[in-house]
Amino acid sequence: MGVNTRTEPVPGHQISVEVQRRLEVDGVLPAKVMRPTDAEDAARGLRLCDLTPAAVVVWGGGTQMRLGTPPRRYDVALSTERMTQVLEYEPADLTCRLQAGITVAELQRTLGEQGQRLPLDPPHPKRATVGGMIAANTSGLSRSRYGTVRDWVIGVAVAYPSGKVARAGGKVVKNVAGYDLMKLHIGALGTLGVVAEVNLKVQAQPQASATVLGHFEASSPAIEAGVKLSRQYLAPAAAIVLDRNALWACGLTADWSWTLALKLEGYAREVDAARDLAARSIREAGGRVEGQDIPSSFWDAARDWSVPDEPDAVLRAMVPLAAMPVLANAMPREGQAMVQPAAGVAEIRLPPALAGSALRRLRAAVGENSQVIVASAPPDAKTSLDVWGPPPPGFAIMRALKDALDPHGILNPGRFVGGI
Amino acid sequence: MGQGRLGTAMETGARDGLLRRLREVVGEQYAFADPYEIRLYQYDASPETALPDIVVIPGSAPEVADVVRLCAQAGAPITARSGASSLAGGTVPVHGGVVITFPRMDRILEIDVDNLRAVVEPGVVNLALSHALKPYGYYYVPDPSSQGACTIGGNVATNAGGPHTLIYGVTVNHVTGLEVALPSGDLVQVGSQKAAETTGYDLTGLLVGSEGTMAIVTKIWVRIQPLPPVQKTLMAVYPDVESASNAVSAIVRTGILPAAIEMMDKLSIQAIEAASHAGYPLDAGAVLLLEVDAIPELAEELGQRMAQVCRENGATEVRIAKNDAERQALWKGRKGAFSAMGRLSPDFYVMDGVVPRTKLPETLAKIDAISVRTGYKICNVFHAGDGNLHPLVLFDAFKAGQYEAVLTIGDEILKLCADAGGSVTGEHGIGLEKRENIRYIFSDDDLEVMQRVRQVFDPHGLMNPGKLFPTDGLEPSPSVSAPSPARRQPMPAGQGEDLWV
Repeated sequence: MGVNTRTEPVPGHQISVEVQRRLEVDGVLPAKVMRPTDAEDAARGLRLCDLTPAAVVVWGGGTQMRLGTPPRRYDVALSTERMTQVLEYEPADLTCRLQAGITVAELQRTLGEQGQRLPLDPPHPKRATVGGMIAANTSGLSRSRYGTVRDWVIGVAVAYPSGKVARAGGKVVKNVAGYDLMKLHIGALGTLGVVAEVNLKVQAQPQASATVLGHFEASSPAIEAGVKLSRQYLAPAAAIVLDRNALWACGLTADWSWTLALKLEGYAREVDAARDLAARSIREAGGRVEGQDIPSSFWDAARDWSVPDEPDAVLRAMVPLAAMPVLANAMPREGQAMVQPAAGVAEIRLPPALAGSALRRLRAAVGENSQVIVASAPPDAKTSLDVWGPPPPGFAIMRALKDALDPHGILNPGRFVGGI
Repeated sequence: MGQGRLGTAMETGARDGLLRRLREVVGEQYAFADPYEIRLYQYDASPETALPDIVVIPGSAPEVADVVRLCAQAGAPITARSGASSLAGGTVPVHGGVVITFPRMDRILEIDVDNLRAVVEPGVVNLALSHALKPYGYYYVPDPSSQGACTIGGNVATNAGGPHTLIYGVTVNHVTGLEVALPSGDLVQVGSQKAAETTGYDLTGLLVGSEGTMAIVTKIWVRIQPLPPVQKTLMAVYPDVESASNAVSAIVRTGILPAAIEMMDKLSIQAIEAASHAGYPLDAGAVLLLEVDAIPELAEELGQRMAQVCRENGATEVRIAKNDAERQALWKGRKGAFSAMGRLSPDFYVMDGVVPRTKLPETLAKIDAISVRTGYKICNVFHAGDGNLHPLVLFDAFKAGQYEAVLTIGDEILKLCADAGGSVTGEHGIGLEKRENIRYIFSDDDLEVMQRVRQVFDPHGLMNPGKLFPTDGLEPSPSVSAPSPARRQPMPAGQGEDLWV
């Protein structure tokens, strides 16, 4: 049974046309909204939707709403905007428990008061919620050093269409009791349940940090220098390679063809040593080390770059480290490019009209083990783009998991991989 | 379960038919049901035992897939067993059926430094991988204490940890892809493998730690990382576990995150000193071992800073290892802790509870109170940095009623860990041992979702049945018979250093 067999009126609150437009997803508008206050409340709402059945799109801050294929159907917007509490935080345990609707910036502010942080930096943290960060698996630019969302989520409470709230994991940093269902919800785009509460590991803020910039005539040596550094003990916290357009978009108006920007973090002596290593690596790769001070907003702009306000399309390639140079050669000349050499990720921002051919070229260039997706595109462009590419290995299991946890297919129908 | 017995469950005719078909897959000598031979596969490192009907030793992933398919067709339970070092009975075939074991699948298939990956078969011994990586300047981080015996396949099943996972995470944080055999007989590869990320649900993350209840792992992609240039180790001596616990919290609050923080209490210290002369003061109430990874120019500074925090928090003595020999000496006692317990008692029962690290002092006090009330000695040797306790309850299995009493004590300790906001297992897994204790932390609703996920992989409940989930009183609990005294293996002093947890 699918959501097309609806017999009951759509549950939830009536909304104005203005709110409807704000909650639009790929051009589709919802009829109603639900704003639950906690996990149980969310589960009750989902139960009503399941009985109807009515299709639900979960809303956090909406920063990643352009990710995914357009919804097959969309009746109810379930917003986490009223679930913003910090439920528990014990700095000495380096853990916290939150409602999923809290923004990443608010979380970082709370942790910052205790000299701690979550070392993930998803784009637009003032709007992005922790729940959205989990659903879209947005880890930010420091993933090669600190890992991704999956490495920091230690527990969840999830509301399911059955009307039940089920927990997995727990509050402690080391725990192997039961299945690790946290992993299932990370990057699932809310297709298996609504993550309502989250338990996180956190860490102390680094003692010191620094930025090293190098510029290059071509992309390959810049990328290769970044890849090499990532294999070292003193690997940078973040390494990005930007073309001139991306550099300018990040607020640095130097006339450099390609720039390798390295964010170094750690104990002060480590950062000193890492700075020397980085400078040496840049020179050995034929680049020039730039001594100039960079605007403090540079890393924030770089973090937000992949979620532009403009109606650009963003393509994201995820490849093995050794395939980074091959990828560099296949990158389009148009638009802007930001490569994360240490993470095996490259993102291209370009006008939507050019996205189709660039996507095909990149998919043809990357080899085994690699994926290229459309991370963001305006609705009209999506109709002609294969957003997710071929279903990943194990897709039959994914489909079966979806059917097991959301049997009527009410959660974000049609937006995920393979039409899930 | 045949005649209310555990283990061996198949009718002779059905068993012989399956055995014949399995031999066609793996070869005559690698599938057997001889009563004498299969006895070797009835146990692991837990006290529980149960006989399988058949043991199979496949030589390749396609063979594993065929074996799993044939077993599923025959309705025979399938239990994967590798190093068999499970302390939770994870590999004991309580429902009989077929045990699949992996000594022939112990190859490191690829060391790919360029992509920071290694690809291994499930039977590769954990330490063997790090040894193989060492010449390249890399290692595989998770170091469960049985790392000289346990395998990567088993580590994946239990999401194994170890003392050095404090800063770098446990097995799941280092596994990027899996090849698994499903009950359907399909071999499926999942995960990003050599790439940073992939699309779709994170099946790799789900399968790690699923204790063989969903699929059998046939190939593993792991992340490797550069060896730390220097490891600085120090020992701090405290009058009691409370002051040592407070020192741990104080160090964490300074922003230093050591790679390992281990603690031993008074009773453990006495046993360790008697066995291995590690140099821990006999009158100490608690000893902390701290280790930090660093570049050489930083190691000394961090060592001194940690030493200062230790002193400020009541350490009566702090000793910093000046070289690798001194470092090894400090670790020697900790690594020999479990075998040293033989100095105090013929048997011990090891627990694996976790509490938030700030709850360590009160939890240890409560465990002490249980010891006083029941008269059973309890040693505490544990990963203090992440609150992962390993209370060792000392007993004598020859004395009637002691084993049963110890199980009750274990249950009480796990309950108080759960009540403190912790978990009933930090790294050993639920297995057979704690399948009822899982209710201390998960509700019926939580478990129901987990069951639904399991059924996606294993609709007929053939994959390692009787593990991880509560039995709801539907079958006899195996935890009522004392271990056979024949299994007791006294450990001479100085040996058994792999047997630490």
